Amino acid sequence: MLSDTLPKAASKTGEQIAVQIDGVGKSFAGTVALKPIWLKIARGEFLTLLGPSGCGKTTLLNLIAGFLEADAGELFIHRDLVTRVPPHLREIGIVFQNYALFPHMSVAQNVAYGLRTRRVSKVEITERVREALALVKLEDFADRRPRQLSGGQQQRVALARALVIRPRVLLLDEPFSALDRNLRGAMQVELREIQSSLGLTTVFVTHDQSEALSMSDRIAVMSRAQIQQIGTPDEIYDRPQSRFVSTFVGDANLFSATLISSSGKDVRLKLGEVGLDLTTYQSDLPAPGPVTLFVRPEHCRLTEAGSPGAVPATVALAVYQGSYTELYLDCPFADTGRAMLRVPASTVMAPGTAVGIALPQQGPAIFPKE
Amino acid sequence: MKKSLADHLLDWSGRIFLTAILGFLVLPFFVVAIASFNKGAILSFPPEAWSVQWYVNAFEYRDFGAGLRNSLRIAAIGAGIALIAGAGFAFVFQRYEFRFKSGLNAILMSPLIIPNFTIGLGILILTASASLPRNLWTVVTVHVIIVLPFVVRSVYVSLQNLERNYENAAESLGASPAYVLLTITAPLLLPGLIAGGIFAAILSFNEFTASLYVVNRGTTTLPVAMYNYVREYADPTLAAISVMYALAVAVLLLVLHRIFRLERVLNVE
Amino acid sequence: MSKRPFLGWFASPSILIAFGLTASFLAIIQYSLRAHVPGSLDPGGFTFDNFTTLWHLAYGRAFMNSLLLCIWTAVFALLIGYPLAYAMIRARSGLLRSAILLISLTPLFMGEIVRTYSWMIVLGNRGFLNSVLLKLGLIDSPIGFMFTMTGVVIALVHFTLPIVVVMLAAALSHIDRNLERAATSLGAGRVRVFFTVTLPLSMPGVVAATSTAFAWTFSAFATPQMIGGGQVSTISTMVYQVGFASFNFPLAASLSLTGLLFAIAVLALFNTGIRRLEKYGAH
Repeated sequence: MLSDTLPKAASKTGEQIAVQIDGVGKSFAGTVALKPIWLKIARGEFLTLLGPSGCGKTTLLNLIAGFLEADAGELFIHRDLVTRVPPHLREIGIVFQNYALFPHMSVAQNVAYGLRTRRVSKVEITERVREALALVKLEDFADRRPRQLSGGQQQRVALARALVIRPRVLLLDEPFSALDRNLRGAMQVELREIQSSLGLTTVFVTHDQSEALSMSDRIAVMSRAQIQQIGTPDEIYDRPQSRFVSTFVGDANLFSATLISSSGKDVRLKLGEVGLDLTTYQSDLPAPGPVTLFVRPEHCRLTEAGSPGAVPATVALAVYQGSYTELYLDCPFADTGRAMLRVPASTVMAPGTAVGIALPQQGPAIFPKE
Repeated sequence: MKKSLADHLLDWSGRIFLTAILGFLVLPFFVVAIASFNKGAILSFPPEAWSVQWYVNAFEYRDFGAGLRNSLRIAAIGAGIALIAGAGFAFVFQRYEFRFKSGLNAILMSPLIIPNFTIGLGILILTASASLPRNLWTVVTVHVIIVLPFVVRSVYVSLQNLERNYENAAESLGASPAYVLLTITAPLLLPGLIAGGIFAAILSFNEFTASLYVVNRGTTTLPVAMYNYVREYADPTLAAISVMYALAVAVLLLVLHRIFRLERVLNVE
Repeated sequence: MSKRPFLGWFASPSILIAFGLTASFLAIIQYSLRAHVPGSLDPGGFTFDNFTTLWHLAYGRAFMNSLLLCIWTAVFALLIGYPLAYAMIRARSGLLRSAILLISLTPLFMGEIVRTYSWMIVLGNRGFLNSVLLKLGLIDSPIGFMFTMTGVVIALVHFTLPIVVVMLAAALSHIDRNLERAATSLGAGRVRVFFTVTLPLSMPGVVAATSTAFAWTFSAFATPQMIGGGQVSTISTMVYQVGFASFNFPLAASLSLTGLLFAIAVLALFNTGIRRLEKYGAH
């Protein structure tokens, strides 16, 4: 019914847009919760909003759901303008962090709720509830109350309840944070399988970077009320465009360096007396002067102290991690005074040993000094 | 771990003090229970002879029966109105910003500070100067004003403890605001609403001072009838009715406690 | 779409009640400025006489008595209520906790008349307390509790104790036990933990409980009327007497209005005093 009466989003032919966000922003009592953003989410895409608490990701989710009304901008779902449409007419499904299963209803009644609001016939409700519970492998729990279920089961019910209405978009608000570690991994796989088999457009909010990397088609890294970078997981991990993204997603070694000169993607740097010639992946480089050099730990190599081109450091602490050992090094050029390398688990290094850190020729990045 | 002598002294003096306070709290009710079985019209301790005649007397005294009927009616109507008005106000106060919100709140909460005799006097003068009749509804009005703050507070606390995501989830599933209210908000608030209503009814049933100002012969409440009795007669009939009154309230309180756990209602967990 | 569904529907009943309350208050103000016509229930013309009449000694004593009753009641209710609330919150057995709570609440739900009448039987010259003391030979002649401030204060402490206990218990129950454990681990004994951690953290509850005890006592009518028996006149008994014995409702109106302002002023003074004290204590 919505699709007939509302203005359409402009879209290029052939491109199937599920959600289009045009300049949507939100402030609370003078505090900017979300700066105006522009974003298109393709149909069937799994998009993750990743960021620390207070970065605006939950605000954006609530704006898409309609629990908040945008100060400015327009929002389209499946080409329908929904900026001023109340949540109950948006046809979205949502799974909350604490699941919000109605405590006074059975599992089946919870799942049936969205169908009853749509005045679906009794027969069809029974059938679709059964299907939805089968999808999340909870057929035998239909008559239980939510509080009689484990955390993982509650989450499946919440998912079934959201899916049974065949939503145009599925919103997930940190759904795994209440689960313990083992269960979390299993649920992530299960959710991703269901999502891709149904071809369901999904917006997933989390502050957990490994969750974001493992599940998403695309990740929007957010901080300070805006999107800092958006891209596929490997783009985000391998080619962060800012210092914030480089440290928030994955581990990073950051060194204080001086940029001597650059041509194209090739740069000449100096770390104290050590001179380095590197090739970055960046098309946009800061001006010569003090900069921050970024390298992933797995791209760094441990060498002997005094090797040419190696950054001098001293072993501070070795932390055994099972399949490898994390070696923390005191390094005068490291931003925090410390750098970290992963070495084979068998490596034995006494604290105080002088070593060198060899940096790769390809792959580091240079950010302006903050 | 071994306790020192000082610790033991502290423990025991604490226990003795606690027992003494609890004794102080229940003492008058025990004494009145003993007095109610005193045979003579003039009290003595311990009673020289026992009798249940004052209970018979209490049952036969017409003003008590009429007072009880009035009190029950006023408490039921008053608590009902206070619950509807109080729950509605608590809802909009917790959810919305609107004009005169804080002013309305200040007025409705003012009976917590304004003495009951002032409220009673005010309604009495209002009915007199506006030439309104003084009937049961006058008494009900006074009671609604007095119990409303307690209802508002109890419903407000329930609303604050209500997880907002239940309603958000329902809305996302296609429920209109009215449907959410009916199928999610109201059922989840029900315990708080019932507790608030019963609490209001008990407060209204007990209200004396303000009622004294606005009742007439036909609308005399039980507490007012009891007050009138004690001014005219000194016999233990009032002790007898006090015992029944106290027992009824105690039973109600115990039932309330079993159902709602008063610790939670009073926020002292 | 309406962002505030049901606002009008839900607010209307309470708005109606607020209007009634406001109107009755305006009626009191209006009456307090009208002359008393002896023998008539209708007030006369505009006058300030009611307020000047209040300078009379008898009214002054009523104000004084009300204030003293409020202070004594609040002090004793706090001294007795605090240990009770503490014991309730810290009781290990749930049964004991519930028992203390229920017993503490009984006076609140018994109603003014039952409670006050019971205390009359306890405190009377031939009452329970004097009988017991005489039998035990502790006294030779009955102690006069009735018609004295002492008797009224005893019954009023009993009356205000429940609300004081509930408010103190609410404050105490929200104190993080780990703060006390931390103090203990740092070497503080139980008494020291109480006075340096528990008591200071429960101060907001103490202030709120004191204010409420004060307001309740000020509002009390049956207790000073029945136990005071005309010997302990307070603002509440005076308003009733002026109204229903002399049918001087304009004077009753001005008296209760002045009484209310008096109570608010005392409470405001108390609160600023506490705030000063807290500021001072913080340095």
